[in-house]
Amino acid sequence: MTGRIRNPWVVVAAYNEAPVVGTVVSGIRRAGYAVVVVDDGSGDRTGDVALLAGAVVVRHPINLGQGAALQTGIDYALEQRADALVTFDADGQHSPAAIAALLAAIEQPGIDFALGSRFLTGATANLPVSRRILLSAALWFTRASTGLPVTDTHNGLRAMTARGARAISLRQNRMAHASEILHQIAQSRLRFVEVPVNIEYSAYSLGKGQRITDALTILIDLFARRLYR
Amino acid sequence: MIAQLLLTAFLALVLVYAWSAHRTVPIIGLLAGGAALAGLYFVWVPEHATALAAFAGIGRGSDLIVYTWVVISLLIMLNLHIKLRLQLDMITRLARAVAIDRAKDMLGQKAEAPPIELQAKK
Repeated sequence: MTGRIRNPWVVVAAYNEAPVVGTVVSGIRRAGYAVVVVDDGSGDRTGDVALLAGAVVVRHPINLGQGAALQTGIDYALEQRADALVTFDADGQHSPAAIAALLAAIEQPGIDFALGSRFLTGATANLPVSRRILLSAALWFTRASTGLPVTDTHNGLRAMTARGARAISLRQNRMAHASEILHQIAQSRLRFVEVPVNIEYSAYSLGKGQRITDALTILIDLFARRLYR
Repeated sequence: MIAQLLLTAFLALVLVYAWSAHRTVPIIGLLAGGAALAGLYFVWVPEHATALAAFAGIGRGSDLIVYTWVVISLLIMLNLHIKLRLQLDMITRLARAVAIDRAKDMLGQKAEAPPIELQAKK
């Protein structure tokens, strides 16, 4: 590693991803990064496949959701004295090449978060129209509720310094965690940059992705969370 | 008179519940407390309930009391939903601690995770 980052960890939350998680982990390991896969109570061999591919595997005894799994991975990486963390999807739509770009972004002085954006360069591959509409609505909501001038939301590719990771405490176990991270970044007043990333959608990743009906669940989760301490 | 006494007893229980809920979910406590106080007032001053119901286009004062009760029931349901979420928070922290400890055991590391707060909020 170059610069001030010496011990970066990649955090992958995985639930029933046995068909693809091995390839994902191998790619990250070949790129030279330590990786922790949080097996979120999978019913298939996700954990075993990830372990064989070279990941440290942390297994949730029950399925809790992607947000909960990411926080578990962040906690584990921080205990391993990670000085930078990258969150990375398990479904194969992210490229390991993006990790270096994200880490380079948080090596800039004063930057604690680098958020992947599918819309900075327009280079995103085969983004379906329904997904584009859903993302536009989520983006409008996020900008209105956080005040952050982001160009993308609900993008699983992000990097953070250890200081940034300690400012994050996800309590949205399921899909609303992506909005919660942006809320917490806004509250922490730590600085962020956006980095253009390409997302390679496949039939597999689209099948696992969010649907328009999930947006209502996310809104309810975000609203309910604000009601209690 | 019997109905008034029964409703008063029920609404007094709701007030106690609202006070208890106020510590964990302030908004629920405030709304349930407000609705219960309004209900008590309407039970004992039914002519005002009738006047307010007529003003709101509800019809009869007794209907207004029933509607107030429905609002209280919905608030109690919302509070139960929130309590379930708090329970899920604790389960999540417990599962996380177990998962990380097991991973450390597999890697031959000594478990040294800080104790987690599992005390339920009242």
